[in-house]
Amino acid sequence: MKNLFKICFLFAIVAISSCKEAYNPVVTANNSNLLVVEGIINSGVDSTIIKLSRTVIIANKTVLNPETGATLVVESDANETFPLKEDLKKGTYFALALNLNSAKKYRLKISTSKGVIYLSDYVEVKTSPVIDEVNYEVKSDGLQVNLNTHDATNKSIYYRWEYKETWIFHAKFISTLEWDGNSIVPRKIGIHECWGNENSSKIVLGTTSKLTQDVIFKSPITFIPSTSEKLSDTYSILVKQYTLTKEAYEFWQNLKKSTESLGSIFDAQPSQLTGNIHNADNQQEPVIGYISVGTVEQKRIFVSKDKFPNFRMVYPYECMEPSIATIKSPGDAKQYFGDFTSIPIENAPTGVYASSRQCADCTVRGTNKRPAFWQ
Amino acid sequence: MSRYRFSIKLFCSSILLLFSISICTAYAQKDNAISVDFKQSKISEVIIDLESKSSFHFYYDPKIMDSLSFTLKAENKSIVFVLDNLFKSVGVNYTIFKKDIFLTKNTQLVVQEITNNPVSQTVKNIVDLSQSVKVQQAVTPNKLYEIGMKTNELKNIPAILSGNLKEASTGKPIAGAVISSQSSNVQATTNQSGYYTIELLTGQNILDIKTPGREDTQRQVMLYGNGKLNIELKENILSLKEVEILANKVSNTKSVEMGVNRLDIKTIKKVPSLFGEPDILRVILTLPGVQTVGEASTGFNVRGGSTDQNLILLNDATIYNPSHFFGFFSAFNPDIVKDVELYKSTIPENYGGRLASVLEVTNRTGDKKKFTGSAGIGLITSRFNIEGPIDNGKTSFIFGGRVTYSNWLLKLLPKDYEQSKASFYDLNIGINHQLNEKNEINISGYYSKDDFKLNTDTSYNYSNQNGSIKWKHTFNEKLNVAFTAGFDAYDYSINSNSNPINAYKLGFKISQTNFKTDFRYKIGDKHQFKFGLSAIYYKLNPGSFVPVGNESLVTADILPAEQALESAIYVGDEFKVTEAFSINAGLRYSLYNYLGPQTINNYAPNLPVTEDNLLSTTQYGDKKVIDTYKGPEIRVSGRYNLTKDFSVKASYNTLRQYIHLLSNTTAIAPTDIWKLSDPNIKPQFGSQVSLGLYKNYSANTIETSVEVYYKKLKDYLDYKSGASLVLNHAIERDVVNTNGKAYGIEFLMKKNTGKLTGWMSYAYSRTMLRTEDLEQGSLVNEGSFYPANHDKPHAFNFTGNYAFKQRYHLSFNVTYSTGRPITLPIAKYYYAGSERVYYSDRNAYRIPDYFRTDISFNIEGNYKVNQRFRNSFTMGIYNVTGRKNAYSTYFTQENGVISGYKLSIFASMLPFVSYNIKF
Repeated sequence: MKNLFKICFLFAIVAISSCKEAYNPVVTANNSNLLVVEGIINSGVDSTIIKLSRTVIIANKTVLNPETGATLVVESDANETFPLKEDLKKGTYFALALNLNSAKKYRLKISTSKGVIYLSDYVEVKTSPVIDEVNYEVKSDGLQVNLNTHDATNKSIYYRWEYKETWIFHAKFISTLEWDGNSIVPRKIGIHECWGNENSSKIVLGTTSKLTQDVIFKSPITFIPSTSEKLSDTYSILVKQYTLTKEAYEFWQNLKKSTESLGSIFDAQPSQLTGNIHNADNQQEPVIGYISVGTVEQKRIFVSKDKFPNFRMVYPYECMEPSIATIKSPGDAKQYFGDFTSIPIENAPTGVYASSRQCADCTVRGTNKRPAFWQ
Repeated sequence: MSRYRFSIKLFCSSILLLFSISICTAYAQKDNAISVDFKQSKISEVIIDLESKSSFHFYYDPKIMDSLSFTLKAENKSIVFVLDNLFKSVGVNYTIFKKDIFLTKNTQLVVQEITNNPVSQTVKNIVDLSQSVKVQQAVTPNKLYEIGMKTNELKNIPAILSGNLKEASTGKPIAGAVISSQSSNVQATTNQSGYYTIELLTGQNILDIKTPGREDTQRQVMLYGNGKLNIELKENILSLKEVEILANKVSNTKSVEMGVNRLDIKTIKKVPSLFGEPDILRVILTLPGVQTVGEASTGFNVRGGSTDQNLILLNDATIYNPSHFFGFFSAFNPDIVKDVELYKSTIPENYGGRLASVLEVTNRTGDKKKFTGSAGIGLITSRFNIEGPIDNGKTSFIFGGRVTYSNWLLKLLPKDYEQSKASFYDLNIGINHQLNEKNEINISGYYSKDDFKLNTDTSYNYSNQNGSIKWKHTFNEKLNVAFTAGFDAYDYSINSNSNPINAYKLGFKISQTNFKTDFRYKIGDKHQFKFGLSAIYYKLNPGSFVPVGNESLVTADILPAEQALESAIYVGDEFKVTEAFSINAGLRYSLYNYLGPQTINNYAPNLPVTEDNLLSTTQYGDKKVIDTYKGPEIRVSGRYNLTKDFSVKASYNTLRQYIHLLSNTTAIAPTDIWKLSDPNIKPQFGSQVSLGLYKNYSANTIETSVEVYYKKLKDYLDYKSGASLVLNHAIERDVVNTNGKAYGIEFLMKKNTGKLTGWMSYAYSRTMLRTEDLEQGSLVNEGSFYPANHDKPHAFNFTGNYAFKQRYHLSFNVTYSTGRPITLPIAKYYYAGSERVYYSDRNAYRIPDYFRTDISFNIEGNYKVNQRFRNSFTMGIYNVTGRKNAYSTYFTQENGVISGYKLSIFASMLPFVSYNIKF
């Protein structure tokens, strides 16, 4: 009896196959060419940049589908107009400092190349307070970046942040030699130390609506795990702050919920998105995006390596110790390094030590040009 | 006058004396003639009179004779003539021995046997005599049982027969059995304690007894007047085949109620089950009109109702979470449960508070005669139960427990969850005490606990706690009452303590204290009244978020407790208008008070409930009535028999629900919260009209039915897009009152006897919801109808059991249903630094259809009566075809790329085996 029990027990486990499979439902293409409007009307001295694109069906390999040839105008509720120009970059439209009147309301008017007109709702100008401080906490498992700000007038209440991270990192091995196309020569520009950078891809929001004062204290911006290459040397983050109307905040929160946190058994069901841009002739046509008007504040901090001495980053690639490439003739060198997948490291008795590009060349995932802002 | 009272025991043991008495009968003497005039006289009056008029002394047992009355007028007759006429017709034997006369009451046989039969036969009948003192126990269909105060004048007048229907071997009551008379076409149903009362005409009656899950049988009674008869039924395996009796089946075509399914545990155990663990909720799901959103989800949907619209009762206690471990297992222990009733159309007026259905799970009461128990070992759970008498046949207990070792089961879940842990256990206890014929007390308790961790440092646990006490009292054959008091609670908590700074505990708790009283009153043959009242006091802690440990920086956030009182009063009458036409009319009036202390948000009238429209807040003190909702609920149903086995039924129900489950996940998740109606959240209101046709074939062995229904839902709570429901201090702003409609047609064919038993059902049903009130703010799908999460138009089920021999059963189960609706991403775009998806209208698409076949084979150990242990083996395969049924589909962003996934819970064949031992 006991034996049979065991056998079936094992059998039951073996018989289980994977339960998660790729799923690509057939969806009609009806609703898959929607206008997407991204950007804010900058009421201050910075430029206003608006990006137009179209949605693509899920199965599409690329998501880029810029909407070109449109005419964009910012209109005030006092009938002033401020035209935008189309940038060289496809689907991007811009205007230099608009210096808008914060007592007025503004909207965006889009006329597509096909003559369809889209209008955003009139929205009030939200002027962002300055960022008091971007700070960080060193935790056992990583670095938590937080932000403090406040609005003494208690008007801001709803906040959104974007950030751009920049960090120094190093290739696993230091290459002192390079293949110049003909022969192995001493390296002129180092590829050991680079700067990596990344824009925020998650929506970061905060609100003081439940507080008695409009004070944001230690609001989390991002968390970098201790094993990340971002924390292998000096790390820097530039945080941009926008203030939102309540409706805009709800739009962003909804967008975040329905596109960033799905998939586990307990997550909320996705829900539809309602922005503030509409087809002037067909209110039913969904348009993705929310146009806000306001100023942007930003702040950069640097965190040096000595602040987190215990973090041990995991190099993103498997790297074997450099092996000796025996070079007896120039032809041998070309065979080894001609396709640039291997990098010569340093001289060896019978040739050179060589490593894979990922392990010796930091420019694979960053730039070795020092950014202008770097301290 | 000295009178020698027989003690029964003495009488029984005095065989020799009686034997000599019987011989002495021959010496009976003539005495002087006497005159008597008795009119409905008691035995004591008769004896006093006769002793005063003659020289005889009478000996008798007043316990036996007190129930008799005597009528005789005689002038100058001999004592023998007087005695003959007085006693013979009521079955009293007299024996004259010198100057003493012994009166013995027995069946007529005694006289013949005492005078004609050998000693042993006499012994037997005298022993029988001793039993006739108590309420008779009717064990066999072939014997004639005599009931009531015998008079020598027998008229066809109405008389009430009552008693208990019990199982012969264990003494357990049998509920829900239908007892009907062949001659007068009346019927009665036994209640939870097996008690029945039926009005018959005096004279000979043949009673048909139809019990769910048993073969039909009958008892013969000779009724002289009001009386009692306890009927004992033997288990099926011992009964002989009585083919002719099948023709007398009373059935679903005769009952007034519609949309009711009864299943006993034997039937449930025949359905192949996941991991060999008989599962009540899974069997319920094979019935037409009952659906679930997914394979491993808690709760079920009845006729388009949501999961919170089912009142789930375990021995009168409300179970808030009826599942273990995401719904892999139901919370009910199959070794303890006796039977299950699901009301989905006619909700009896004694129930209220939920819109869609009542699921009544009744546990067994313990064996009053001997200790028994069972133990089972399955792949997932082990079970143990024991039951037995506490004192000589009056009190019994039953205890059952289950525990799991299911951590390995989590390996079946997708890889993301494989580091997870899970365990659960549940305990049941029941005590039954029969104070006397008229009073019975039942105490029952239930406790369940689930603990799990899903691949994170966060652990979840939840628990049901229930206790109830019920006192049943029978005033007389016509009137009885049950008082029930109980306490029910459900709580969950989520703990995270891996990071001491963020360590927290999130908790939720709902508890209710309830009291109810239910009266049953029978007037004549035509009316059966039900009336009573109930009160439930709710206390709900909607959420607390507190730090754990000294280092935690989490700021405590505790939502204030909510209190409410829900009371109801009801009255109903089952009125038999004619033989073919019966009507059941009930009215329930429910009253709901939302009580302080509480702070209530006041919003501007006729504007969306948003923060912007918040006018003020009002503080209410302790026990202060903040808001009251009330209203009548109508419960009417009727039956008309076109022929004996063909009937049409119709019903109309309205219901109110004051408590809501807030969930924006697809199934009941342990994190869902209950919410009481308050000034900003209206109670739900539902109405249902249904019509059904019932026809039985082949002498009622095949039952078929078709039911159609149309249902309206008002103020059902749905969530606004992107609502957050946990720790929400103003939940009214995130939910939206939704109206809905549900309609459908259900076909059911059921075969209860024979080698092949089982049922087959098909249902076409739709459930559509709509937010139409512009005051709600943003409308879901622009205010047009959208399918509810559990809208699955086509559903087919086949559940069958084939008995090769008594001990070998093959069971199979086939399930098909349309995939449930989902909201799909239909396009993607780049926004705010990432690729994102655009979703369709709510529930505009469907996941792939669901199809599954299960098979199991059951071998019982031998049936030798004296065996100490009985074994049984079940082995089977769940999902024989290995179809990868989608539990859910989801789209997620991975490294900036959107990928769609289909999650299947049991993606392949799943063999199982379980072993049970009964002692």
